[in-house]
Amino acid sequence: MNTFRVLEIKKSVYEGNDARAAALRAELKRRGLFLLNLMSSPGAGKTTTLLRTIDALGAELRMGVLEADLDSDVDARAIAPRGVKVIQLHSGGMCHLDADMTRQGLEGLGTEGLDLVVLENIGNLICTADFDTGASRNAMILSVPEGDDKPLKYPHMFSVVDAVLVNKIDAMDFFDFDLEKFTKRVRELNPRARIMPISAKTGEGIAAWAEWLRAEVRGWKEA
Amino acid sequence: MHELGVVIEVVKTVEEFVRANGLSTVDTIVLQIGELSSMIPKYIEDCFPVAVSETMLEATKLRIEVLPGNARCTSCGKVYGVLANEGRCPACGARGGELLSGKEFLIKEIVAC
Repeated sequence: MNTFRVLEIKKSVYEGNDARAAALRAELKRRGLFLLNLMSSPGAGKTTTLLRTIDALGAELRMGVLEADLDSDVDARAIAPRGVKVIQLHSGGMCHLDADMTRQGLEGLGTEGLDLVVLENIGNLICTADFDTGASRNAMILSVPEGDDKPLKYPHMFSVVDAVLVNKIDAMDFFDFDLEKFTKRVRELNPRARIMPISAKTGEGIAAWAEWLRAEVRGWKEA
Repeated sequence: MHELGVVIEVVKTVEEFVRANGLSTVDTIVLQIGELSSMIPKYIEDCFPVAVSETMLEATKLRIEVLPGNARCTSCGKVYGVLANEGRCPACGARGGELLSGKEFLIKEIVAC
């Protein structure tokens, strides 16, 4: 009979997903397709921000949307009348998307001729930050009612994103949200992220966000 | 609860390792989980039996080692425990030190034959 022995593996469990995400990103780069991974808590305003983004950039960029949720198609229904390609993904109870699910979503959507696909990730500030989807850039939305202390509570999310949108600034008067304090807390975790205050409801700040995204998409296609 | 997906990933990785190394039976899998990772050891243990069901690891035991979250202060160089000090250097009070450990989620080793 064989005897049991200890065999060292020392392999990160994220390694598989990280490698698949890197491969997907390289492939998108070759095809000149920009994928934005948009993350936030539930109710921070991802879908409304997305509608504003489509209105701002829809005429110059051919866009598609991957709507990821545990269930329902309310978000996809909200997007569809804008005339952009949209597909609803159900994660089957999983609270984040990984690179394989993102690839399947892109295949389901059909990306031929598109410049920009926005992946509206599942509303969650925790593990969506741990799983690389293969996106070209990562952005998150933090809304004013959630509070300026969130970078302290969810540091990982704030440290992995390229852009932070502070949404619902039209409601600033009703909440004790200190934008300066918030900015400082984000900077401590992530010196390079662009922080942009917006109101998806009134449209304030959307032009700056659209400009950032436009420049990123151009850079991705050219470089 | 996002642990099930990653535990299934663990099972796949170990199965591949077992095949590649011509092994037959895995007695124990040892995981190392950083205390700053988003994985909760208790939940990992809870979903392990589901993930190994009807696989070659059905009878395999799971052991989890928790790794401490340590950071080195970028201002004064002190190494400190991130959780115990709420992310702030206990010596000089600076935030956001360089993280040395605590985010890991590793398959450390298996006991097998």
